[in-house]
Amino acid sequence: MKYLPLVWAALRRKPVRSIVTFLSVTVAFTLFGLMIGLSATIHTIEERARADRIWVWPRFDNVPMPVTVARQIAQMPGVKKVTVMAYLQSYIGDPKNHAFVSFVDDEFGHMFTDWGPKPEQWETIRKNRMAAVIGPQFAKQYNKKVGDVLTVVAPRTNRSDGTHTWTLHVVGIGEESTQNSYPYVFGNYDYYDKSVPLADQGKMAEVDVLTADPALAPGLAQKIEQVFANSASPTQANTEKTLYGAGFGGMDVPTLTHQIAFAGLMMILFLTANVIAQSVRERRTELATLMAVGFSGWAVIALVAAEAAVICIAGAVCGSVIAAGLAAQVPSLMPRGWGMPLPTLSAAVFFWAVGSAFLLALASTALPALRLNRLDVASALAGRA
Amino acid sequence: MIRQIAIVSLLGLRSLKTRLWQSSVIVIGMACVIGVLLSMLSMTEGQHNAYLRTGDPRAAIVVSRGTEWEIASTLPRDQARMVLTAPGVAKDSDGAPIADMGITVAVPAIMRKSNIRQPILLRGVGAKGVMLQPTLRMVAGHMFRPGSRELIAGVRAKDQFKDMDIGSKVILPNGEWPIVGTYVTGDLLDGQLLGDAETLMPALRRKTYTTVLARLQSPAAFDSFRRALTGNPALEVEVMRVPEWNSKISKDFSAFLHVFVYGVGAILAIGALFGCFNTMYAAVGSRTQEIATLRALGYSGFAVAVSVLLEAILLSVSGALIGASIAWGLYDGVPSGFASDVFTLTVSPALFVTAVLWAIAVALLGGILPSLQAAGSTVSDALRAR
Repeated sequence: MKYLPLVWAALRRKPVRSIVTFLSVTVAFTLFGLMIGLSATIHTIEERARADRIWVWPRFDNVPMPVTVARQIAQMPGVKKVTVMAYLQSYIGDPKNHAFVSFVDDEFGHMFTDWGPKPEQWETIRKNRMAAVIGPQFAKQYNKKVGDVLTVVAPRTNRSDGTHTWTLHVVGIGEESTQNSYPYVFGNYDYYDKSVPLADQGKMAEVDVLTADPALAPGLAQKIEQVFANSASPTQANTEKTLYGAGFGGMDVPTLTHQIAFAGLMMILFLTANVIAQSVRERRTELATLMAVGFSGWAVIALVAAEAAVICIAGAVCGSVIAAGLAAQVPSLMPRGWGMPLPTLSAAVFFWAVGSAFLLALASTALPALRLNRLDVASALAGRA
Repeated sequence: MIRQIAIVSLLGLRSLKTRLWQSSVIVIGMACVIGVLLSMLSMTEGQHNAYLRTGDPRAAIVVSRGTEWEIASTLPRDQARMVLTAPGVAKDSDGAPIADMGITVAVPAIMRKSNIRQPILLRGVGAKGVMLQPTLRMVAGHMFRPGSRELIAGVRAKDQFKDMDIGSKVILPNGEWPIVGTYVTGDLLDGQLLGDAETLMPALRRKTYTTVLARLQSPAAFDSFRRALTGNPALEVEVMRVPEWNSKISKDFSAFLHVFVYGVGAILAIGALFGCFNTMYAAVGSRTQEIATLRALGYSGFAVAVSVLLEAILLSVSGALIGASIAWGLYDGVPSGFASDVFTLTVSPALFVTAVLWAIAVALLGGILPSLQAAGSTVSDALRAR
């Protein structure tokens, strides 16, 4: 501790250089935090994806299926619960402003407790036909609050009154959900079903199945496909686990993000190593003086390493904080109505950042340390090279 | 003045050797930044090319109004027929309009590499459908025969998905359809399947088409073609040029990729900026006496400042070129895609230019303060400096 003033003095020797180095380390760790945070989120999503839930869609097109398909699935052995859903592809004001509304039945909220809305919000949807619970990203993108009226236009869905305009009342803003990172809107299936022309009623876009035993789910999914293969509504059934393991359109996000984070760190490693080397070169006489007054070679190296560590760890902390701030801004950068998994700056990511910063400091001190170890005190004091 | 700048710059370059490590910070830093940036941009560039390289400026597409994706479009037969006879559609030698009513559906398929299920597009085309794809060429097997349950697969679909080889079978609602040929077009169609629309429609239990593709008499005929269709109250359609439609459907996905790529690129560039600043600052610091001597000899501060900037630009650009070359070597021409949306990663000359401009910008911003410092130092003080 008593050597702290020495480290501090060394840092203040060339303040511009220290500050710029600190800033570049901060930038590198901002990137590191965002990338590792994103990869952590994706890992969490895959982890949390439920092996006991099966999602069933029409196999060949997105023409809605009759709800009888859901009733038939509910009768199959191994099925605990089913829930049906209808989608509304719509926009707010301008076709550019996407809004994707999911109208869900009474069971959905019990089965998808991890989807964002709180239990009492699901209950409101069950009781109030025109209720809508919106996601925090949706609320931010469209500036909607509880009590607002949400009017969306769905040009491709006919209503029995001949219009394409749907009115919903925002009754709650749900929580952020890793599993449902979309700017979501949930409504009441019954409202949807009774609003479309008679010929379109009793249809759904998706059935979700809860199985009694996750081990049975893959087999059950296959069975569901077989049963309806030759029916009027062929289906495709996938367990949530396989769907979420499929990655983002086949893109390997974790590898990509790790590579980017690594490239950023390498760049900064090079920079800091250079700065430390430069400052050691410039202070040969001073460092030799320290040795002459009794500091061991290792103590001097430790001082230099501490100097690097202060900059790197301070940069890692600041960078992570900035990354957390930027992550919160991602939804407003996305096109309206679209979302992506947000980087999570968890304690683990923070720990990784500080740990890497420490290693970075050690690595960048390594070469100058070698040189210091070979330092000939007498000639350094005399100012000879 | 130019002579002064040249002399000072050369002098600086000659002393680069003694500052090798320092200078390599800029080069390696920039190589990292540009390498990462271009590797990611090769994806957006490749996708962009695939969507817009649909050649024929006379090609137009008609879908139902408000459609986001082709597979969501529904065109009843009577409406589709009205499009065929619209003004502006080119005529074949037999007098028939060169326009085609098609149906597109997504069929689940398994990706070879990951064993993951992804949708692949199956496109049913009519008599003029093949003619509207002038680049289509069979590479193996034979063309599907109209009226029979046969499909052909694009080369990239065959490479990326399981069971898309000749002899494999695709499950459709009315049973299994064999694949009888492999084709190549060089565009998005390579990731898809083709079959006969009129045979596919009953098989898929569909009564509506999704799309009408048309070749117009000339690119200029588009406006009247569109006006005739959108002005017709019996039709609820949207009319677009093919590239325009393609960029519309890829827009949202590209937006995501752009936020990601340019976000990462911008952060990396700021990092490189500081690195460049630090290096040039140190370079000026170690050359203080040399620069002061030059000033004492009568060289202007301006010449010194410019030479510092030139050095920064030289280092930064060479780093950028190294990074760009690495990205080019690793990724240019590598096949890629998101499910059936196939494209080729591309590190184009335009991206090299972007890289160089990016590098120059970083060098200018990072070098400006150190260069001012070099120009502004008092000669007497600097000469005394140790």
